[in-house]
Amino acid sequence: MKKQLFLFSLIVGLATSCSDSKKAADNETPSSTLSGFDQKETQYYSNGRRLYKTICQNCHMENGEGLGRLIPPLAKSDFLKNNRADLPRIVKFGLHGPISVNGVEFNQPMPANPKLTDIEVAEILTYVGNTWGNEVGSFTTEEVISSLSEKE
Amino acid sequence: MKKQLAVIILVFAFGFSACNSQQKSKLPILGRTDYIEANGTIDTVYHTIPDYSFVDQDSVEVTPKTFENKVYVADFFFGTCPTICPIMKQQMLRIYGRFQSNPEFGIISHTIDPDHDTVAYLKDYSERLGIMDNKVWHFVTGNKSEIYELGTAAGYMVQVGEDETAEGGYIHSGAFILIDKERRVRGFYDGTVASSVDILMNDIDRLLKEYEDE
Repeated sequence: MKKQLFLFSLIVGLATSCSDSKKAADNETPSSTLSGFDQKETQYYSNGRRLYKTICQNCHMENGEGLGRLIPPLAKSDFLKNNRADLPRIVKFGLHGPISVNGVEFNQPMPANPKLTDIEVAEILTYVGNTWGNEVGSFTTEEVISSLSEKE
Repeated sequence: MKKQLAVIILVFAFGFSACNSQQKSKLPILGRTDYIEANGTIDTVYHTIPDYSFVDQDSVEVTPKTFENKVYVADFFFGTCPTICPIMKQQMLRIYGRFQSNPEFGIISHTIDPDHDTVAYLKDYSERLGIMDNKVWHFVTGNKSEIYELGTAAGYMVQVGEDETAEGGYIHSGAFILIDKERRVRGFYDGTVASSVDILMNDIDRLLKEYEDE
């Protein structure tokens, strides 16, 4: 019986050895701020994660690293930390012109996402702001509404 | 005991042959194939990429001669693309990183928005990606109808075009197309999916090996 088990594991081992099992390492590390989240904030976070994957990930990449000097990183981003009040507007209305992120200059237009609701903006920011080394805390719908109503 | 030993050997033999067989078979030659009779024998004529002439990020003319004695990967993109281009470029960077030192390898990325993506723009774009010269990877622009023509069934056989309803104003396939030294299409891969690009990199090795074996 033991031998058969050995044989079985051998077969499984061989079968998997052929396939390219080298999957991209999941660098998605929720920040420590997450442990302090209440149920609502956690809900925002997981909804934001889903939205990020469909709306943001193609450009900012799965692990938030961006693309060269073309698309700015969201991971460990000083821009997120220092420009909290502007973030809802950027997510919803896009961004044009040069910005500096972690000491690197970027100048690729970011498209607007006008269809996003206030709560969706808050969810995306709660996810992005508390993943990959960012610790900016959660966003509420109220904060998003007041930020969007401000004039530039 | 002997029987079990035989089973073990069999399992190993099967396992190894399964790994190797993939390496040995040749890649298919894609596209329409014609058979032409000449002097009593039948000649096989494969689909090939037609002549073209574009200009790359260093203002150098790029023609099929640029890729003489090279296998290369082609794709279509545009600089302000808000959808699949960045992820395609991230994946193409993986391919570049792996094959950039091979003199028998090249990459060509065609912009489908030549009005916006000028030579100067493509230079800035490619440098921002980390591609500092045009030795391996050519970002090309040129005559719009020629670019679109090359994307059709007469060329790379992928979808390329303007579409006002599409995000960013253009539609284009996310395909990476593998071309051999005879300008024949040897494979299509989804440039937005890492596992598909893994297969492409494996196929580039296989294609290069085909020429070694000749």
